[in-house]
Parts: sequence; structure tokens; C-alpha cells
Amino acid sequence: MNRHLAAARRMTLARACRSSALGLSALAMLAVTACGYDATPLPRADEPPVEQSAPAAPPTCDATTATQSYGPDAGAAQGASLQRIRARGYLVAGVAADNYLLGSRNPFTGTIEGFDIDMVNAIAAAIFGEAQGHVQLRVITAADRIPLLQADEIDIVARNMTINCTRWQQIAFSAEYFRSGQKLLVRKGSGIKSIEDMSGRRACAPVGTTSIENIQELAPEAIPVTASNDTGCLVKFQNGETDAITTDDTVLAGLAAQDPYAQVLTKQRLTEEPYGIGVNAQRGDLVKFINGVFERMRADGSWQASYDRWLKPSLQVDATQPTPVYGRRP
Amino acid sequence: MTQAHQAAATAPAPATPSTARGTAPGATTGAPATAANYGPATRDVPRLLNQWQVIAVAACLLFAFLTAFLQVLGWQANRAAADNTEQLVRVQNIQSTLFRADALATTSFLVGGLEPPEQRQAYDDAIDQVTRLIADAAEAQPADREVLAALNAAVNRYTTTNTQARDNNRQGFPVGAEYLRGASDQLRTDVQPLMQALTDANSQRAEDELSAQDPLLVLLSGVAAMAVLWWVNRNLSKVFNRLLNVGVAGAFVLVALLTLIAVVVSSSQDNANSELRDGSYRVAVAEAGARTAANDAKSNESRRLGAQGSGAVFEEGWQSAAQRVEENASLDTLRLWQTYSGLHVRVVELDESGKYDEAVALATTVDPDGPTAALDTFDQASQQAVSTAAAATTDELRSGNSIFLVLAALTLLLGLGAAGLSTWGIAQRRREYA
Repeated sequence: MNRHLAAARRMTLARACRSSALGLSALAMLAVTACGYDATPLPRADEPPVEQSAPAAPPTCDATTATQSYGPDAGAAQGASLQRIRARGYLVAGVAADNYLLGSRNPFTGTIEGFDIDMVNAIAAAIFGEAQGHVQLRVITAADRIPLLQADEIDIVARNMTINCTRWQQIAFSAEYFRSGQKLLVRKGSGIKSIEDMSGRRACAPVGTTSIENIQELAPEAIPVTASNDTGCLVKFQNGETDAITTDDTVLAGLAAQDPYAQVLTKQRLTEEPYGIGVNAQRGDLVKFINGVFERMRADGSWQASYDRWLKPSLQVDATQPTPVYGRRP
Repeated sequence: MTQAHQAAATAPAPATPSTARGTAPGATTGAPATAANYGPATRDVPRLLNQWQVIAVAACLLFAFLTAFLQVLGWQANRAAADNTEQLVRVQNIQSTLFRADALATTSFLVGGLEPPEQRQAYDDAIDQVTRLIADAAEAQPADREVLAALNAAVNRYTTTNTQARDNNRQGFPVGAEYLRGASDQLRTDVQPLMQALTDANSQRAEDELSAQDPLLVLLSGVAAMAVLWWVNRNLSKVFNRLLNVGVAGAFVLVALLTLIAVVVSSSQDNANSELRDGSYRVAVAEAGARTAANDAKSNESRRLGAQGSGAVFEEGWQSAAQRVEENASLDTLRLWQTYSGLHVRVVELDESGKYDEAVALATTVDPDGPTAALDTFDQASQQAVSTAAAATTDELRSGNSIFLVLAALTLLLGLGAAGLSTWGIAQRRREYA
């Protein structure tokens, strides 16, 4: 009986308003007096996901030895890691595809290119004789870098990765191949002249990077905003969701080149960011091999050529390949 | 008090008290009644006759109005079911077309250099179609307007973000790819819940209307009227020693006949609607879902390649969408889907074996043998299948629906006739008594 009561209710209440008079106007009027459906419910917006910043790094870290890596070793070329890569036929490198000038997809050619990519290609060429056809680039976020290395899913990370003691506890690094520094990118005419002006202002940095930790330390009154990557910060910057972007000057140079209303505050380098190639902690032979490759790049000028091509035009400073520091033991 | 009433109040007791019990209409008539046969002296026969007349007439009229009302509602339910089915298909078409636009945008982005003009045009056409469909949907169903307004705003944000992606991409800026990712995410997080709300509401409305025919209510109405007429006839037979009152019996027959016809028509329509619900309606809804899922899959394929090596989450999205296609596509379109999915497997194999460039080339080629063309073929066939099944549903609901109006008019007329017969039959007894 309930079904029939419900059916009767539906028939009397759930009627679209329709002109149905014809010769039965009285009945039709009766039928449509309770017309109209309940409005389609507007779904409630889910709570926006809270972007978690990385936990602060442990306070104990000797900055003077952080860049110390394993010395090059001619025998490394026959190590287990190199044999594994050769057997596979290609080097798997975790890179960025959105860091203009360091590692980004060229929209005209569809290929990923930049200073970091040149490092990858040099390592692959050293293993296989040529890089072409022997590199698999995996586009990863900053937060993916260490987990993917630890899981041994990728051989190396060449993604503007800062060498520091905390990370040494998790992975291994090559010798420093570039010295960058954290700076601020702001809107032209915003009135922000230095880090001191960031009090109460929003600063964006990719989640899982040292940049977000640094800004929290250097400007505690600034409001941290995170994105999954550097370009995500640029989107937020252009959409007015952040007042500044803070990350490595190399990255900021690439971001500023994409937005004529953005400028990098060049006077003040907030931190020192030595870049290294990240490697799984157990693959010391690969680290030694990479350090050998960097030595050759210094000697044959290929590092300098890469810097001059990608970074010098935007950074507008001369630079040379950092002097490596060896002595660390696997 | 009238003379007749005074006479009735003093009428002598009948020589032979009435003994008839439960006489059914249609039985043969008994001996002619005389004043001497009338009920006990305590009965006010004219008043009873008046009461029985009112009850019989009210039963006939109530039956006529209620049954006709149910028939008009049945007529309206079919019309509303057709309208709601059209709205549901319209809403699903918006959803499918949006995902097709997203598949076109994400695939175009994988191609180095300027996007192919054909794909750009196809994207623009898809967005134009979505805009028109939203306007049509808002006009067709006022109850959807609030959600459609929110959908319109969300689609505007989506297309704006895609435009920003394209503009940056044309200047060679990698931030364009980030805008594209944002647009695709927006489609799934902002637009999709609105589409789901519209789909749920309209499918519920359509299915409610398809289930709105209720022959039992019609039967109950008729049986109740017949029971009243039987009771009136029984009382008359007790008082007048006649088994049957011709007028009331005639009214009973008319009501029984109308009830039978109304129940048969309503049952028949109920069965027909059930077949529609499980047939062409279900096909239209399922196929539209398959079309949406297929375009979602193609978009995920492009996003996977865009993520270059970190597209596991998008491959999961592809697998999920593929499962929805396989569960919902009709046999004809499923074959076309399998052509595409086979090519997708090849794309994945190339990507996973380090041949990324070849994977992208295969995924983006406009060659008729490529996955993009295969998906286009599926999309067109699926859209046609939805259109055909939906038209079959609405045509069936609208064709012959006017029988309910004819029947309602007939019920009213014959119901009035039954009331008239009851009045006439009881008036005969009144005259006899007088």
C-alpha cells in the first residue's frame, strides 16, 4: 500500500508545469496545482585540500661538509648500478618539465630541455656513447624526488635539487654542479623590496622543497603558500593567490621570463643552494661515475657551454662550474 | 414536512417484510411493490431514498472524477517522463561533450608547435555545443536552473583556464602546461559534481514518472464505487422487495465497464513503461555514460603522456574510465571502443619501454588508424546510439498517450451517466412509494 500512496503522492506533487487543459481543463488544473519538481540540489563544495608543507629539517647539519661527495673512480663504470642501467638500455632520470631554462617542455618541439637536462644527457652519453635513445625522462614533482630514488624507480634526479645533510641521510648526491640561491619574485610595483617587506604577505614555494622551509625561517611573519611545482606558483601568482614566489634564482629567472609583470629581487640572495644529482643511497658507484662525468665536462667545456646557453642570458652573470668537494665514503 | 413525507411517516407496516439479502444487480426483478410492502412504520422511506440517491450519485461522480483525474495524471506522467528523459540525455550530452573538449585540448597540447586547426575547431565546436545545451536545459527544466547556473560559471572558468594555457603555450611558456593541468583538474573537481547532481536528479525524475502509472489505484476507485452501488441496491431491495433496481444496476454496470477499461489501459501503459525503462531508456542512459567515460579515458591518456613517466595516476583514471565504458557501451559501440583501447595499450607499451616520443606520436596522430581517430569513431557512433535510443523512448511515451485524455473524457461522461441512472432508478421507487 505504501507503494501506491507514494505513487499517488508522486502523481499529485511531482508534476512539471505543463499546459494540459484541452477539454479537461478542470481536471488538468487540479493536476497541475501541485506542479513543479524539487530544485536539483546544488552539490556542496568539498573542503579544499590542505596543502601540507614538508616538515622542518633537523637543526643539526654541517653546511661546510654537505657538498662533500664520493671521489670519481674509474672502476665505477663496471659497478652493479652501471651494469643494471646498461642492461636496461637507458638511463631513467627524474626531471622537471616546467622549470623554464632548467628542465621544461619546449611547446614548439614537445621535447624537454634545459640546463639540468644537459647534465642528464651528458651522463647517459658517458654510459652508452650517445644520449639519443638512451634516456627516459620521468617528469616528477619536487616532493617525489627522494621517495622515487629510495624506491629505486629512477636512477638519478636532475631537478634543481639542493644538497644538504638532511637529504644525505636519505639519498646520495653527486658533487655540486651548480651554485644557486633562493630569492624572491614579486609583482612590479608591489612595494616589496626585500624579505623584510614580506610580513603578512603571501609567499609561494613548491611543497617538499627547501625553499618553503627557508622562507618560514627567514620571514616567520610571511604567509606560506604551496603548490605542487614552481609553475604552479606562477599560476597562483598570476591569479592573485600569492604576492611572491620564493625559490632558486635559476627557477625564478625562468618564471620571470614568462611574465612581464614579474621581477626578481636580485640584490639579496636569501640562501645558498648547491645543486647535486640525486642518487639512491646504496648506489655509490653511480655517484662516483657521475662525478667522473662532471670532471670531464669541466675539462671539455661542455658544462660552460650549457650554462652559457641556458642560464647566463637570464641570470646575466658569469659563472663557472663549482669546484667539487670529495672525501665522503659510501 | 411535505405531504409525501407525512404520508411516509404514517405508512402502515408491510404485509410481508422484505427478505432479500445481498441481491446482486442483474438478478431478475421480484413482484411489483405496493405501499403495503414498504418498510416498518418507523422508517422514513422518502428520506432514506434521498440519502441513498445522494450516496449513489456521489459514488458515481467521485469515481468518475477520481478515475478521470488519475487518467489525466497518467497522461501527464508520460509527457513528463518524455521531457525528463530528454533533459537527462541533454545533461549527459553536456557532460560527454565537455570531456570530449578536454580530450581534444589535452591531446593538442602534446603535439609540438601549433595545435592542428581541425582539433582546435573541434574544441571550439564542443564548447559552443555545451553552451547551447546549458541554455536549452535551463529552459526545459526550471528545477535545474540553479545547478545549471553554477555549471555555466564552472564551464566559463574551465574554458578561460584553457585559453590561458593556449595563450602561454603559443608564446613557448611552460606555464601553459600548468594552466592546462589546472583546467583538467577543474573539470573533474568543479564541473563533474554538478554534472552528477543533474544526472541523478533527472534520472530520478524520469524513472519516477515512468513508474507513475498505478492501475491498482484505478481498480480501488472502481471497486469502491461498485461496492457503494451494490449496497444502495441491497437496501432498496430490502425496502421494496425487488432484487434489482434497474437504474442502480445500470450504473453498476457502467462503473464496472469503465473500471475494467481504465485498469486494462493503465496496466498496459505501466507494462509498456517498464519495458521502456529496462529497454531504450536504459540503453540511452548507459550509452551516454559510456561516451562520457570514453572521452575521460582519452583525456587521461593525454595527461599520462603529459606527465611523462609520472602518469600512473592518470593511467588509473584511464582504467577506471575504461571499465565504465565496458559496463555501459552497447554491443556495436563496444566493438569500436575495443579498437581504441587496443591502440591505447600500444601507447602504454611504447611509453613504458622508454619510447616516449613514439608513444606521443601514436597518441596524437590524426591518421585514421590511430587512437585519436578510433576514439572519434566511437564518439560519433555512441552519440548516434544515445540519440536513437532516447528518441525511441520519448516517441513511445508520446505516441498514443492521448488515449488517456479520451478515456478521461469518456469516464467523466459515463460517470455522469451512471449518476443519472442511479437518480432515475431511485426516482422510480420514489414514484412507486408516492
